[in-house]
Amino acid sequence: MVPAGGREVDLERTFPRNLAALEAVFAFTAEFLAASGAPAGAAFDIDLIVEELFTDFVKYNRSAHDIGVRLRRAGGAVEMTLTDRDVERFDVTGVPEVDPERYVAERRVGGLGLHLVRKLADRVEYRYEDRTSRIVVVKRLEA
Amino acid sequence: MFDIRFEADRLVLRGRLDASQAARADELLQRVETSVAADLAGLDYISSAGIGVLVKAQMRLQDAGHALRLENAQPRVRAVFHYSGLEGLFGMA
Repeated sequence: MVPAGGREVDLERTFPRNLAALEAVFAFTAEFLAASGAPAGAAFDIDLIVEELFTDFVKYNRSAHDIGVRLRRAGGAVEMTLTDRDVERFDVTGVPEVDPERYVAERRVGGLGLHLVRKLADRVEYRYEDRTSRIVVVKRLEA
Repeated sequence: MFDIRFEADRLVLRGRLDASQAARADELLQRVETSVAADLAGLDYISSAGIGVLVKAQMRLQDAGHALRLENAQPRVRAVFHYSGLEGLFGMA
């Protein structure tokens, strides 16, 4: 059941593999949020989850393909799927939790993004098939 | 849209500090050489890339006996620091 004001929406787009594409990615999330009637308060968390996963693909994967972003609203949740083709397997659900004290002490530059995704998401799944990585994140919308 | 600048004796950050803007923030933060407060009232969004450049600046300043203090963060921005376990590092707790 879709909450009052909400609509079933399923949008998918691909973006160039660079950080400058983030502006277009955020325009896409804004388009999705408007179309789906999701609460305005959901925008921050959805942008953050999509950015963290997108930038990890940009930074760590070597591929000539664009990166796919699919946003789907079903019922009271948003499902975000990021797809990267022709890449090595990297299961984000197996990455150890970040210890903030160690993060600072070791002056680490990675790991915090996935930590935030896990904190904000209600479910994170990783699928790898035919050299294609798919990360599926589900975030429940607040009433 | 992201902006970072000195206004009087404070750093002021506005807009969205995402991964595409982190290098700009880093460039200015590297010029900070003493303790300073940063006003985040106008900062609407921050991701781990933005947190990373602030942590980098804080560690450099603390090594020199100084500190970067973050003030007036909006609730969503503050939540990102909270989830990161880094509120205390910036005097936000």
